[in-house]
Amino acid sequence: MSMATPHSTRIEELLPAYALGALDGDDLRELEEHLAGGCVECRRQIGLWQRDLETLADSVQPLVPSEITRARVLHLVGAAPAVRRVPRWLPFAAAALLLLGVWGIAGQLRLRGEVRSLVAERERLERQVAALDREVDQARSEARRAAEALQVLAAPGVQSVVLAGLGPTPGAAGHTYVNPQTRDALFYAFNLPALEREKTYQLWFIAGGKPVSAGTFDVDPRGTGSLRVAQVADIKDIQAWAVTVEPQGGVPQPTGAMVLKSS
Amino acid sequence: MDPREAEDLQLMSRVAARDGVAFTRLFEVHAPLALGLLNRILGKRSEAEEVLQEVFLQIWMQGDRYDADRSSPRGWILMLARSRALDRIRRRESARRREEAAGEAAGNSVPPLGTERLESFERSREVSSALGLLSPDQRRCIELAFFEGLTHTQIAERLAAPLGTVKSRILLGMNKLRQALSA
Repeated sequence: MSMATPHSTRIEELLPAYALGALDGDDLRELEEHLAGGCVECRRQIGLWQRDLETLADSVQPLVPSEITRARVLHLVGAAPAVRRVPRWLPFAAAALLLLGVWGIAGQLRLRGEVRSLVAERERLERQVAALDREVDQARSEARRAAEALQVLAAPGVQSVVLAGLGPTPGAAGHTYVNPQTRDALFYAFNLPALEREKTYQLWFIAGGKPVSAGTFDVDPRGTGSLRVAQVADIKDIQAWAVTVEPQGGVPQPTGAMVLKSS
Repeated sequence: MDPREAEDLQLMSRVAARDGVAFTRLFEVHAPLALGLLNRILGKRSEAEEVLQEVFLQIWMQGDRYDADRSSPRGWILMLARSRALDRIRRRESARRREEAAGEAAGNSVPPLGTERLESFERSREVSSALGLLSPDQRRCIELAFFEGLTHTQIAERLAAPLGTVKSRILLGMNKLRQALSA
């Protein structure tokens, strides 16, 4: 049995490397024999060196353990549920669900496409119906005007007056028809030129020597215009008919150029 | 004793009595630094996480072996982590040596032992301010011992330096480290 090496400066110089775990060979054997002798001072100093070495660990950057590591460690002590292993069938079930989902989405997209197409078709039909409605309304309106015109034109004793073009519109012409019973009148103009936007044609009848407005009218591109006049003066009192060019909306008394006049 | 260490001591005594809540707390507080140390030593995150699990399993199983007179709970955990990581490196090194021996027998070119790890240390994270006060040679010797578990002789071989010089660098470096830490 070998004698333990006595405590010395040399022994103390071995302690840092021993704490570090770097001591080997004869140095290690020598120190271990000394420690085996129960040197309290060396044990104390080794503890101090180890504390210093712990500080070396502080030089590293801490890292947060992964959730898997955390769950596994805590599961060991029953402090937390372990990370469950994924059952073998789960990926297949997930794939099947995914396929069903894709199929469902595709079906939904197809249905949405059909709905969009049907909505577009409905809107197109609605537009057609609206256009037909307008045509029907127009036809009804024309039929009503024709019936009203016929009521005047076919009335017994209807009075017809011809208006001739004047000055700048010699080719223009007009006709008035008055139902003597109802005193409703119809007026038709032909070959009148189109006017500026702020101008309009105004029809007048002269009764008792004074012009009375029968209303305003515009002409179509062909120069044709018409006007239905309700309740004109008694035909016996109407001396003449005339058309003038007036500001848009008409005026109480004629102010503009006369383009048509009855003889 | 600072309040943190007092709490750690209380936790350790509860862990020794199989208190799962105390163990969870101990893990939350110390696992990040232990994992950082393991990663520093092993240089591979997945392996570090694996060893961290072993370390804390050991703490749970052998919590009653903790000796408050020898180290703080934090120091004990870190030294356990270091010890396990160095064991892992030694096993890895021994496996590598076997592979290299097989490679040499087959005539394959194999890089010098440890070159890769030395380079990885060159790229390692910044050392503590205390380590920064050491000379590069002293720091290198201490790092090789602490983070790689090399002995005097192995360090001398690794650095191709005289054994006496390595011993001297470690002794002077450790004393300087203590001075820096106590300053």
